[in-house]
Amino acid sequence: MVELGIGQYVEMEYGGAARIIQIIGSGGQGIVYLAEFNDARYALKWYDVDKISNPKAFRKNIENNIKDGAPSNKFLWPKYLTKELDNGCFGYLMDLRPQGYDSFVDILNTYKLEIEQMSGRATKQSVQFKSLFAMVTAVINIVNTFRQLHRAGKSYQDLNDGGFFINVENGDILVCDCDNIAPDGCNFGIAGKPGYMAPEVVRGISKPNVQTDKYSLAVVLFKLLFRGDPVEGEKVVKDICLTETSELKHYGQQAIFVYDPKNDSNRPVRGIHDNVIKFWKIYPDYIKDAFTFTFTTGITEPNKRIIENEWQKLFIRLRSEIIKCHCGRTNFASMFLLTEEGHYKCPKCGAEYSELQLSNRDYGIPLYIGCKFYACDTEKASDDFQTVTGELIENKLKPGVLGIKNMSDKIWKVKMPDGNFYNVASGKGFPLWKDVEIDFGGITAKLK
Amino acid sequence: MSDEKKEIRDDLLKNSKKVADAKPGQQTKSTNDLESLLDDFDDDPLNATGVSRKSLVIFFLIDTSGSMKGTKMGELNTVMEELIPEIRKIGEADTEVKIAVLTFSDQVMWMYSEPIAIEEFEWARLSAAGVTSMGAAFEELSVRMSRNSFLNSPSLSFAPVMFLMTDGYPSDDYQKGLEALNKNSWYKFGLKAALGIGKEANDEMLAEFTGSADTVVHAYSGGQLAQFIKIIAVTSSQIGSKSMTLSDDTTHELSPEDVAKSKQKLLGQQIQETVKSEGYKDTVPFDTGW
Repeated sequence: MVELGIGQYVEMEYGGAARIIQIIGSGGQGIVYLAEFNDARYALKWYDVDKISNPKAFRKNIENNIKDGAPSNKFLWPKYLTKELDNGCFGYLMDLRPQGYDSFVDILNTYKLEIEQMSGRATKQSVQFKSLFAMVTAVINIVNTFRQLHRAGKSYQDLNDGGFFINVENGDILVCDCDNIAPDGCNFGIAGKPGYMAPEVVRGISKPNVQTDKYSLAVVLFKLLFRGDPVEGEKVVKDICLTETSELKHYGQQAIFVYDPKNDSNRPVRGIHDNVIKFWKIYPDYIKDAFTFTFTTGITEPNKRIIENEWQKLFIRLRSEIIKCHCGRTNFASMFLLTEEGHYKCPKCGAEYSELQLSNRDYGIPLYIGCKFYACDTEKASDDFQTVTGELIENKLKPGVLGIKNMSDKIWKVKMPDGNFYNVASGKGFPLWKDVEIDFGGITAKLK
Repeated sequence: MSDEKKEIRDDLLKNSKKVADAKPGQQTKSTNDLESLLDDFDDDPLNATGVSRKSLVIFFLIDTSGSMKGTKMGELNTVMEELIPEIRKIGEADTEVKIAVLTFSDQVMWMYSEPIAIEEFEWARLSAAGVTSMGAAFEELSVRMSRNSFLNSPSLSFAPVMFLMTDGYPSDDYQKGLEALNKNSWYKFGLKAALGIGKEANDEMLAEFTGSADTVVHAYSGGQLAQFIKIIAVTSSQIGSKSMTLSDDTTHELSPEDVAKSKQKLLGQQIQETVKSEGYKDTVPFDTGW
């Protein structure tokens, strides 16, 4: 392959040239450089064309992607192509990854290595989500991002732990390595990474497409929540040495979900898969059921894999069921006791929490000081899980009185303790009382 | 708190809801289940350990006989010190790379009593003296390359990488050592490469260890030694820590032996390519000018 030198200029397709500043990293298909173009800094991905089966078609696909634009702002999308050199080499410019994002691999490892420039000495630095809320938000973001891509008629093809960066403070995500993204049905040679590929891709009987993306997405989600591999259990670790033939068997022909209800031959092994064993006890059934379905029925029937929209609804529910108890314990509602009155009770301090029943949900949203409502909760036909429309707060003038503050731009109608309905405008609030009724505008709510 | 406020708060907290109303998919744990679960159970959803990773052990077999004394050993030590951070950077973050160093002269000795994770590995400078007990080194390697010894990672392991460096001909019965290795399936499936240093080293003998001529490289000068050690170590750890894509779309079954062979072949090709493209940067032969 032809490497670029520091200080070298690379001509761009539509004029101008990018100057190479330094190497950022290298991957299976080429090298990524830091480059300067029109007084701005970019990442330049430069291909080893020998490793690409059809470079012309590959380049054309990137050109099309640039023309189409990114499906959302979560993608570090190709921006400008370079000219093709005489030997066929080329690359493209994309935005640099902003500060504050950690790689998915580091999150799974729970640490990253900081390497001292001078000595080469490595020190471990912890990488962990700062809150449960941030973690579930990251999951929702991942699902939503691939939903947007699939809605644009494209598939990612090479979905794996190296393709994402996550902000562990707030759950924001970035998808990089967007160069294998292609219209569904097209493939330019990439198969994917072992462990993330759908069984039919591992077996070579299908090329990556939207359906195989769904499998890889489920693996990513499982790894993020359960911190282990969905099909690596007892059966797999018995094959001590991981050869390619054993991979073909355990990830392709005979992939068995670790919690397959009808087949217990591949259960997680204590001492190796402790995370999965622990988290399987913590998550609510509707989450476990979705994974079980994807990794049992969905292994052989790609069309039955859970679609992104369903995942999104499940994880929005999961996020709304996070209870932050005032004793400091934060957990999912599934890890709170259910009292006879139907309240969630903290097993640590005994505090009880009731729920708000929205007319557009078949589950209640637990209420605690600081819990938030989003547009997807309070606005009809909205799937906006980011815009806060309300928050449960304590009245500043009447300590002990809890209520919901309207943070949306809509006017809500609320039944107050005197039995009459009043308008609650943006920025105003109302107390939560026994027979409160709220009309958010199409969606109504009561205490459960 | 006034009565009115208290009432509102009590209403909020105690507002009745029947368990029987719980919808399908609602939490199903009974109070007793959860209480017994919470005894002695860490229920923090954020508290996770690292995902279990695949492990790869890289074995360096290094000749520390008397003939290595001087600049050869000095250079080797320096290169190895530099190499460790490089492998650290290359190593896939989802593979746990460990290093084990076996030296052989009059005696066969491990640098550390077990393989050390690359993040923690520190090169202990070696010195040279004595004869070349390579056969004994092969036997020792064969004993340690076992599930009960150095390859005892509880989770999945890649086949190991074995990298032999020597500047001379074995002074003991190396065939006996090779026989022992040939019975070891980790050796069979592992990636093997060798570096001959100076004109005394015998490439044919080294090819017997690696199983193929193109995974043997010969360094005649100091500059080459440094270059080749890096090329071989980096290439073999890259190939060793990744799986090749297999499919069952082929007319005949691929056996694990076939795959191991094709990986070894790929290693040979890549080493040869890189060695050629790097060219010869230093022309002063190893064996002159001492």
